[in-house]
Amino acid sequence: MHQTIAFRTAWVITRSDADAEEAAQDAFVKAHAALQRFREDAPFRPWLLAIVANEARNRVRSAGRRTGLALRVAEERRPDDAVPSPEAALLDSERRERLLAAIERLPEPARQAIACRYLLELSEEETAAALDCPRGTVKSRLSRALERLRMELGEEVQA
Amino acid sequence: MSELESRLSQLGRELDWPVAPDLASAVRERLDAGERLEAPARRRRRPVVFRRSLAIALAALLLLAGGVLAAAPGVRDSVLDFFGLQGATVERREELPPAPPPRPLRLGERTTLDAARDSLGFAPLVPEAAGRPDRVYVDRSVPGGLLSLAYGPRAGMPEAKSTGLGLLVSEFRGDLAPEYAGKIAGGATRVERVSVDGHRALWLEGAPHFFFYRAPDEPIREERLRIAQNVLLLEDGRMLVRFEGAFDLDRALELARSLR
Repeated sequence: MHQTIAFRTAWVITRSDADAEEAAQDAFVKAHAALQRFREDAPFRPWLLAIVANEARNRVRSAGRRTGLALRVAEERRPDDAVPSPEAALLDSERRERLLAAIERLPEPARQAIACRYLLELSEEETAAALDCPRGTVKSRLSRALERLRMELGEEVQA
Repeated sequence: MSELESRLSQLGRELDWPVAPDLASAVRERLDAGERLEAPARRRRRPVVFRRSLAIALAALLLLAGGVLAAAPGVRDSVLDFFGLQGATVERREELPPAPPPRPLRLGERTTLDAARDSLGFAPLVPEAAGRPDRVYVDRSVPGGLLSLAYGPRAGMPEAKSTGLGLLVSEFRGDLAPEYAGKIAGGATRVERVSVDGHRALWLEGAPHFFFYRAPDEPIREERLRIAQNVLLLEDGRMLVRFEGAFDLDRALELARSLR
Protein backbone atom coordinates (compact mmCIF):
# COMPACT_ATOMS: atom_id res chain seq x y z
CA MET A 1 0.00 0.00 0.00
CA HIS A 2 1.05 3.58 -0.55
CA GLN A 3 0.21 4.20 3.10
CA THR A 4 3.27 2.30 4.24
CA ILE A 5 5.77 3.91 1.92
CA ALA A 6 4.28 7.35 2.55
CA PHE A 7 4.48 6.92 6.30
CA ARG A 8 8.03 5.57 6.18
CA THR A 9 9.19 8.38 3.89
CA ALA A 10 7.74 10.91 6.30
CA TRP A 11 9.35 9.05 9.17
CA VAL A 12 12.80 9.12 7.54
CA ILE A 13 12.51 12.91 7.45
CA THR A 14 10.82 13.59 10.80
CA ARG A 15 12.12 10.58 12.78
CA SER A 16 8.99 10.85 14.86
CA ASP A 17 6.00 8.49 14.66
CA ALA A 18 3.51 11.21 15.54
CA ASP A 19 4.94 13.78 13.10
CA ALA A 20 5.19 11.19 10.34
CA GLU A 21 1.58 10.19 10.83
CA GLU A 22 0.40 13.80 10.77
CA ALA A 23 2.52 14.61 7.75
CA ALA A 24 1.25 11.61 5.82
CA GLN A 25 -2.37 12.31 6.75
CA ASP A 26 -2.14 15.95 5.70
CA ALA A 27 -0.37 14.93 2.51
CA PHE A 28 -3.19 12.59 1.51
CA VAL A 29 -5.81 15.24 2.20
CA LYS A 30 -3.83 17.73 0.12
CA ALA A 31 -3.23 15.21 -2.60
CA HIS A 32 -6.95 14.55 -2.75
CA ALA A 33 -7.57 18.25 -3.25
CA ALA A 34 -4.97 18.26 -5.99
CA LEU A 35 -6.19 15.23 -7.94
CA GLN A 36 -7.11 17.48 -10.82
CA ARG A 37 -3.49 18.46 -11.19
CA PHE A 38 -2.25 15.02 -12.10
CA ARG A 39 -0.32 15.15 -15.32
CA GLU A 40 -1.13 12.53 -17.86
CA ASP A 41 2.46 11.44 -18.18
CA ALA A 42 3.30 11.66 -14.49
CA PRO A 43 3.92 8.55 -12.46
CA PHE A 44 1.88 8.51 -9.27
CA ARG A 45 4.28 7.63 -6.48
CA PRO A 46 6.85 10.42 -6.97
CA TRP A 47 4.01 12.94 -7.03
CA LEU A 48 2.54 11.60 -3.82
CA LEU A 49 5.89 11.25 -2.06
CA ALA A 50 6.84 14.82 -2.94
CA ILE A 51 3.74 16.05 -1.11
CA VAL A 52 4.36 13.71 1.82
CA ALA A 53 8.01 14.73 2.16
CA ASN A 54 7.13 18.40 1.93
CA GLU A 55 4.67 18.02 4.80
CA ALA A 56 7.30 16.13 6.77
CA ARG A 57 9.92 18.84 6.23
CA ASN A 58 7.44 21.50 7.36
CA ARG A 59 7.06 19.65 10.64
CA VAL A 60 10.80 19.30 11.15
CA ARG A 61 11.24 23.01 10.49
CA SER A 62 8.52 24.03 12.91
CA ALA A 63 9.69 21.63 15.60
CA GLY A 64 13.35 22.44 15.07
CA ARG A 65 14.09 18.91 16.08
CA ARG A 66 16.87 16.58 15.10
CA THR A 67 16.69 13.34 16.99
CA GLY A 68 18.67 10.25 16.11
CA LEU A 69 17.54 7.65 13.63
CA ALA A 70 15.89 5.22 16.00
CA LEU A 71 15.74 2.35 13.59
CA ARG A 72 16.88 -1.04 14.75
CA VAL A 73 17.35 -4.28 12.94
CA ALA A 74 14.29 -6.49 13.45
CA GLU A 75 14.76 -9.36 15.86
CA GLU A 76 13.41 -12.03 13.58
CA ARG A 77 15.69 -14.09 11.44
CA ARG A 78 16.15 -12.96 7.90
CA PRO A 79 13.81 -14.69 5.47
CA ASP A 80 16.50 -16.12 3.23
CA ASP A 81 18.59 -17.46 6.06
CA ALA A 82 19.32 -21.05 6.52
CA VAL A 83 20.07 -21.65 10.19
CA PRO A 84 23.33 -19.78 10.70
CA SER A 85 25.88 -20.72 13.29
CA PRO A 86 25.76 -18.53 16.42
CA GLU A 87 29.10 -16.98 15.41
CA ALA A 88 27.90 -16.20 11.89
CA ALA A 89 24.64 -14.76 13.22
CA LEU A 90 26.52 -12.52 15.64
CA LEU A 91 28.89 -11.36 12.93
CA ASP A 92 25.97 -10.65 10.64
CA SER A 93 24.15 -8.72 13.31
CA GLU A 94 27.26 -6.69 14.17
CA ARG A 95 27.81 -5.82 10.52
CA ARG A 96 24.26 -4.58 10.21
CA GLU A 97 24.50 -2.52 13.39
CA ARG A 98 27.79 -1.01 12.19
CA LEU A 99 26.23 -0.09 8.87
CA LEU A 100 23.22 1.48 10.58
CA ALA A 101 25.49 3.45 12.90
CA ALA A 102 27.56 4.66 9.95
CA ILE A 103 24.40 5.83 8.19
CA GLU A 104 23.41 7.74 11.29
CA ARG A 105 26.72 9.59 11.31
CA LEU A 106 26.16 10.91 7.79
CA PRO A 107 25.15 14.55 7.30
CA GLU A 108 21.35 14.89 7.18
CA PRO A 109 20.97 15.32 3.37
CA ALA A 110 23.18 12.29 2.73
CA ARG A 111 21.41 10.24 5.39
CA GLN A 112 18.02 11.01 3.88
CA ALA A 113 19.26 10.18 0.39
CA ILE A 114 20.61 6.81 1.54
CA ALA A 115 17.47 6.08 3.55
CA CYS A 116 15.11 6.90 0.68
CA ARG A 117 17.08 5.28 -2.13
CA TYR A 118 18.27 2.12 -0.40
CA LEU A 119 16.52 1.54 2.93
CA LEU A 120 13.11 2.40 1.49
CA GLU A 121 14.13 1.23 -1.98
CA LEU A 122 12.58 4.24 -3.69
CA SER A 123 13.50 4.75 -7.32
CA GLU A 124 15.89 7.55 -8.20
CA GLU A 125 12.96 9.61 -9.43
CA GLU A 126 11.01 9.00 -6.22
CA THR A 127 14.04 9.86 -4.13
CA ALA A 128 14.47 13.11 -6.03
CA ALA A 129 10.80 13.93 -5.51
CA ALA A 130 10.97 13.15 -1.81
CA LEU A 131 14.13 15.19 -1.32
CA ASP A 132 12.86 17.99 -3.55
CA CYS A 133 15.99 18.13 -5.66
CA PRO A 134 17.03 17.18 -9.22
CA ARG A 135 18.05 13.62 -9.97
CA GLY A 136 21.59 14.75 -10.60
CA THR A 137 21.79 16.04 -7.03
CA VAL A 138 20.45 12.73 -5.74
CA LYS A 139 23.14 10.90 -7.71
CA SER A 140 25.96 13.06 -6.40
CA ARG A 141 24.69 12.92 -2.80
CA LEU A 142 24.43 9.16 -3.01
CA SER A 143 27.84 8.83 -4.56
CA ARG A 144 29.46 10.90 -1.80
CA ALA A 145 27.48 9.13 0.91
CA LEU A 146 28.43 5.69 -0.39
CA GLU A 147 32.07 6.74 -0.55
CA ARG A 148 31.95 7.94 3.03
CA LEU A 149 30.26 4.74 4.19
CA ARG A 150 32.93 2.68 2.44
CA MET A 151 35.64 4.66 4.19
CA GLU A 152 33.97 4.24 7.57
CA LEU A 153 33.40 0.55 7.11
CA GLY A 154 36.94 0.02 5.86
CA GLU A 155 37.61 -3.19 3.99
CA GLU A 156 34.37 -4.72 5.06
CA VAL A 157 32.78 -3.73 1.77
CA GLN A 158 34.04 -3.73 -1.74
CA ALA A 159 33.37 -1.05 -4.32
CA MET B 1 24.56 -2.55 -7.85
CA SER B 2 27.66 -2.63 -5.65
CA GLU B 3 28.01 -4.86 -2.62
CA LEU B 4 27.44 -1.89 -0.31
CA GLU B 5 24.29 -0.85 -2.16
CA SER B 6 22.97 -4.41 -1.93
CA ARG B 7 23.74 -4.49 1.78
CA LEU B 8 21.92 -1.21 2.30
CA SER B 9 18.82 -2.48 0.51
CA GLN B 10 18.94 -5.70 2.50
CA LEU B 11 19.33 -3.69 5.70
CA GLY B 12 16.22 -1.68 4.84
CA ARG B 13 14.22 -4.91 4.58
CA GLU B 14 15.49 -6.07 7.95
CA LEU B 15 14.86 -2.88 9.87
CA ASP B 16 12.22 -2.72 12.51
CA TRP B 17 10.31 0.14 10.91
CA PRO B 18 7.59 1.78 12.97
CA VAL B 19 4.25 0.22 12.05
CA ALA B 20 2.33 2.46 9.67
CA PRO B 21 -0.90 3.69 11.26
CA ASP B 22 -4.28 3.28 9.60
CA LEU B 23 -4.04 6.53 7.69
CA ALA B 24 -6.95 5.76 5.43
CA SER B 25 -9.60 5.85 8.15
CA ALA B 26 -8.34 9.15 9.48
CA VAL B 27 -8.05 10.66 6.02
CA ARG B 28 -11.49 9.51 5.06
CA GLU B 29 -12.99 11.00 8.23
CA ARG B 30 -11.35 14.29 7.47
CA LEU B 31 -12.58 14.29 3.90
CA ASP B 32 -16.06 13.31 5.02
CA ALA B 33 -15.97 16.27 7.37
CA GLY B 34 -15.35 18.45 4.35
CA GLU B 35 -11.74 19.26 5.09
CA ARG B 36 -9.75 20.44 2.16
CA LEU B 37 -6.13 21.44 2.29
CA GLU B 38 -4.39 23.01 -0.64
CA ALA B 39 -1.48 21.12 -2.08
CA PRO B 40 1.55 23.11 -3.16
CA ALA B 41 1.38 24.11 -6.79
CA ARG B 42 3.58 22.25 -9.22
CA ARG B 43 6.66 24.09 -10.23
CA ARG B 44 7.04 22.58 -13.67
CA ARG B 45 5.20 24.27 -16.46
CA ARG B 46 3.76 21.32 -18.30
CA PRO B 47 0.25 20.80 -19.54
CA VAL B 48 -1.95 19.56 -16.75
CA VAL B 49 -4.38 16.83 -17.60
CA PHE B 50 -6.52 14.90 -15.19
CA ARG B 51 -5.96 11.24 -15.67
CA ARG B 52 -8.39 8.98 -14.00
CA SER B 53 -6.19 5.93 -13.86
CA LEU B 54 -3.60 7.82 -11.88
CA ALA B 55 -6.20 8.93 -9.42
CA ILE B 56 -7.05 5.42 -8.45
CA ALA B 57 -4.00 4.76 -6.40
CA LEU B 58 -4.68 7.81 -4.31
CA ALA B 59 -8.34 6.99 -4.13
CA ALA B 60 -7.27 3.72 -2.61
CA LEU B 61 -6.11 5.53 0.43
CA LEU B 62 -9.08 7.75 0.63
CA LEU B 63 -11.58 5.02 0.31
CA LEU B 64 -10.11 2.27 2.35
CA ALA B 65 -12.05 2.41 5.52
CA GLY B 66 -15.16 0.61 6.55
CA GLY B 67 -18.02 -1.21 4.93
CA VAL B 68 -18.89 -1.91 1.35
CA LEU B 69 -17.95 1.09 -0.71
CA ALA B 70 -19.46 0.22 -4.04
CA ALA B 71 -22.35 2.57 -3.47
CA ALA B 72 -20.39 5.36 -1.85
CA PRO B 73 -21.39 8.77 -3.17
CA GLY B 74 -19.64 11.79 -4.56
CA VAL B 75 -16.04 11.56 -5.50
CA ARG B 76 -16.07 7.87 -4.77
CA ASP B 77 -18.32 7.27 -7.74
CA SER B 78 -15.90 8.93 -10.07
CA VAL B 79 -12.87 6.84 -9.27
CA LEU B 80 -12.22 3.21 -8.73
CA ASP B 81 -12.63 1.90 -5.24
CA PHE B 82 -9.75 0.39 -3.37
CA PHE B 83 -9.58 -1.57 -0.21
CA GLY B 84 -6.33 -2.56 1.37
CA LEU B 85 -4.48 -4.26 4.14
CA GLN B 86 -0.80 -4.32 4.79
CA GLY B 87 0.38 -6.76 2.15
CA ALA B 88 -2.64 -6.70 -0.11
CA THR B 89 -4.89 -4.39 -2.02
CA VAL B 90 -8.30 -4.96 -3.48
CA GLU B 91 -9.10 -2.84 -6.46
CA ARG B 92 -12.63 -2.52 -7.76
CA ARG B 93 -12.82 -1.89 -11.46
CA GLU B 94 -15.70 -1.19 -13.74
CA GLU B 95 -14.06 -3.32 -16.40
CA LEU B 96 -12.21 -6.47 -15.50
CA PRO B 97 -9.17 -7.66 -17.42
CA PRO B 98 -9.65 -10.57 -19.82
CA ALA B 99 -9.91 -13.86 -17.95
CA PRO B 100 -6.62 -15.73 -18.07
CA PRO B 101 -6.75 -19.36 -19.19
CA PRO B 102 -6.90 -21.81 -16.29
CA ARG B 103 -3.48 -22.97 -15.19
CA PRO B 104 -2.29 -25.35 -12.53
CA LEU B 105 -1.66 -23.63 -9.21
CA ARG B 106 1.95 -22.70 -8.77
CA LEU B 107 2.56 -22.59 -5.07
CA GLY B 108 6.30 -23.11 -4.96
CA GLU B 109 8.31 -25.98 -3.61
CA ARG B 110 6.60 -28.87 -1.83
CA THR B 111 7.78 -29.16 1.76
CA THR B 112 6.59 -30.03 5.26
CA LEU B 113 5.31 -27.77 8.02
CA ASP B 114 8.37 -28.43 10.15
CA ALA B 115 10.76 -27.65 7.31
CA ALA B 116 8.76 -24.52 6.44
CA ARG B 117 8.92 -23.39 10.06
CA ASP B 118 12.73 -23.47 9.90
CA SER B 119 13.10 -21.73 6.57
CA LEU B 120 10.56 -18.90 6.62
CA GLY B 121 10.91 -15.40 8.02
CA PHE B 122 7.84 -16.02 10.20
CA ALA B 123 6.18 -18.75 12.23
CA PRO B 124 3.56 -20.59 10.11
CA LEU B 125 -0.03 -20.34 11.33
CA VAL B 126 -2.34 -23.33 10.87
CA PRO B 127 -6.15 -23.14 11.11
CA GLU B 128 -6.91 -25.77 13.74
CA ALA B 129 -10.52 -25.93 12.61
CA ALA B 130 -9.28 -27.46 9.34
CA GLY B 131 -6.70 -29.77 10.88
CA ARG B 132 -3.27 -30.43 9.45
CA PRO B 133 -2.87 -29.49 5.79
CA ASP B 134 -2.64 -32.23 3.18
CA ARG B 135 0.20 -30.47 1.39
CA VAL B 136 2.56 -27.63 2.26
CA TYR B 137 4.44 -25.41 -0.20
CA VAL B 138 6.94 -22.59 0.14
CA ASP B 139 7.69 -19.97 -2.50
CA ARG B 140 10.96 -18.25 -1.66
CA SER B 141 10.74 -15.65 -4.41
CA VAL B 142 8.51 -13.58 -2.11
CA PRO B 143 10.29 -11.40 0.49
CA GLY B 144 10.09 -13.39 3.74
CA GLY B 145 8.71 -16.39 1.87
CA LEU B 146 5.16 -17.37 0.89
CA LEU B 147 3.67 -20.37 2.66
CA SER B 148 0.73 -22.26 1.12
CA LEU B 149 -1.31 -24.84 3.01
CA ALA B 150 -3.49 -27.01 0.74
CA TYR B 151 -6.49 -28.97 2.02
CA GLY B 152 -8.49 -31.39 -0.09
CA PRO B 153 -12.28 -30.99 -0.27
CA ARG B 154 -14.16 -32.23 2.80
CA ALA B 155 -17.28 -31.50 4.86
CA GLY B 156 -17.62 -27.77 5.33
CA MET B 157 -14.99 -27.12 2.69
CA PRO B 158 -16.38 -28.14 -0.74
CA GLU B 159 -14.13 -28.14 -3.79
CA ALA B 160 -13.45 -24.65 -5.12
CA LYS B 161 -13.42 -24.41 -8.91
CA SER B 162 -10.59 -21.92 -8.75
CA THR B 163 -8.16 -24.22 -6.95
CA GLY B 164 -9.63 -27.74 -6.97
CA LEU B 165 -9.09 -27.63 -3.21
CA GLY B 166 -11.34 -27.45 -0.19
CA LEU B 167 -9.16 -24.74 1.33
CA LEU B 168 -6.04 -22.91 0.30
CA VAL B 169 -4.32 -20.87 3.01
CA SER B 170 -1.52 -18.52 1.95
CA GLU B 171 0.69 -16.66 4.39
CA PHE B 172 3.40 -14.05 3.95
CA ARG B 173 4.94 -11.07 5.70
CA GLY B 174 2.78 -8.14 4.67
CA ASP B 175 5.29 -5.68 6.06
CA LEU B 176 8.12 -7.05 3.91
CA ALA B 177 6.01 -7.26 0.78
CA PRO B 178 3.57 -4.39 1.26
CA GLU B 179 2.14 -4.46 -2.23
CA TYR B 180 2.73 -8.04 -3.08
CA ALA B 181 -0.77 -9.46 -3.36
CA GLY B 182 -3.72 -7.84 -4.98
CA LYS B 183 -7.20 -8.48 -6.17
CA ILE B 184 -9.21 -6.94 -8.91
CA ALA B 185 -12.94 -7.13 -8.30
CA GLY B 186 -15.86 -6.21 -10.54
CA GLY B 187 -19.08 -4.63 -9.37
CA ALA B 188 -20.71 -8.03 -8.77
CA THR B 189 -18.19 -9.07 -6.17
CA ARG B 190 -19.11 -8.26 -2.60
CA VAL B 191 -16.16 -6.73 -0.76
CA GLU B 192 -16.64 -6.25 2.95
CA ARG B 193 -14.37 -5.15 5.72
CA VAL B 194 -14.67 -7.44 8.72
CA SER B 195 -12.82 -7.95 11.99
CA VAL B 196 -11.37 -11.20 13.28
CA ASP B 197 -10.63 -11.01 17.00
CA GLY B 198 -9.66 -7.37 16.59
CA HIS B 199 -7.57 -7.92 13.45
CA ARG B 200 -8.50 -6.19 10.21
CA ALA B 201 -9.78 -8.42 7.45
CA LEU B 202 -11.50 -8.24 4.09
CA TRP B 203 -14.06 -10.66 2.72
CA LEU B 204 -14.59 -11.07 -1.03
CA GLU B 205 -17.55 -13.11 -2.15
CA GLY B 206 -19.80 -13.61 -5.13
CA ALA B 207 -18.67 -13.19 -8.68
CA PRO B 208 -15.17 -14.53 -9.28
CA HIS B 209 -12.49 -11.91 -8.95
CA PHE B 210 -8.91 -11.80 -10.05
CA PHE B 211 -5.98 -12.46 -7.84
CA PHE B 212 -2.39 -11.56 -8.51
CA TYR B 213 1.00 -11.35 -6.94
CA ARG B 214 3.62 -8.87 -7.88
CA ALA B 215 7.03 -7.82 -6.75
CA PRO B 216 7.31 -4.24 -5.43
CA ASP B 217 7.31 -1.67 -8.24
CA GLU B 218 6.82 -4.32 -10.89
CA PRO B 219 3.81 -4.49 -13.12
CA ILE B 220 1.41 -7.35 -12.51
CA ARG B 221 2.77 -10.44 -14.12
CA GLU B 222 0.10 -11.91 -16.29
CA GLU B 223 0.99 -15.49 -15.51
CA ARG B 224 0.29 -14.77 -11.88
CA LEU B 225 -3.16 -13.42 -12.51
CA ARG B 226 -5.84 -15.98 -11.88
CA ILE B 227 -9.51 -16.21 -11.06
CA ALA B 228 -10.17 -16.64 -7.35
CA GLN B 229 -13.21 -17.82 -5.41
CA ASN B 230 -14.41 -16.58 -2.03
CA VAL B 231 -11.51 -15.14 -0.09
CA LEU B 232 -10.88 -13.87 3.42
CA LEU B 233 -7.77 -11.69 3.77
CA LEU B 234 -6.61 -11.32 7.34
CA GLU B 235 -3.97 -8.92 8.62
CA ASP B 236 -2.42 -10.38 11.75
CA GLY B 237 0.40 -8.15 12.93
CA ARG B 238 3.07 -8.35 10.28
CA MET B 239 1.43 -11.32 8.61
CA LEU B 240 -1.10 -11.40 5.82
CA VAL B 241 -3.10 -14.63 5.79
CA ARG B 242 -5.42 -15.49 2.93
CA PHE B 243 -8.15 -18.15 2.94
CA GLU B 244 -9.62 -19.20 -0.39
CA GLY B 245 -12.44 -21.68 -0.87
CA ALA B 246 -16.08 -22.27 -1.78
CA PHE B 247 -17.25 -21.62 1.79
CA ASP B 248 -19.22 -18.73 3.28
CA LEU B 249 -18.08 -15.90 5.52
CA ASP B 250 -19.07 -17.68 8.75
CA ARG B 251 -16.91 -20.65 7.88
CA ALA B 252 -14.05 -18.40 6.80
CA LEU B 253 -14.23 -16.55 10.12
CA GLU B 254 -14.27 -19.83 12.00
CA LEU B 255 -11.13 -20.92 10.16
CA ALA B 256 -9.44 -17.58 10.74
CA ARG B 257 -10.23 -17.57 14.46
CA SER B 258 -8.69 -21.02 14.83
CA LEU B 259 -5.26 -19.96 13.55
CA ARG B 260 -2.52 -21.14 15.90
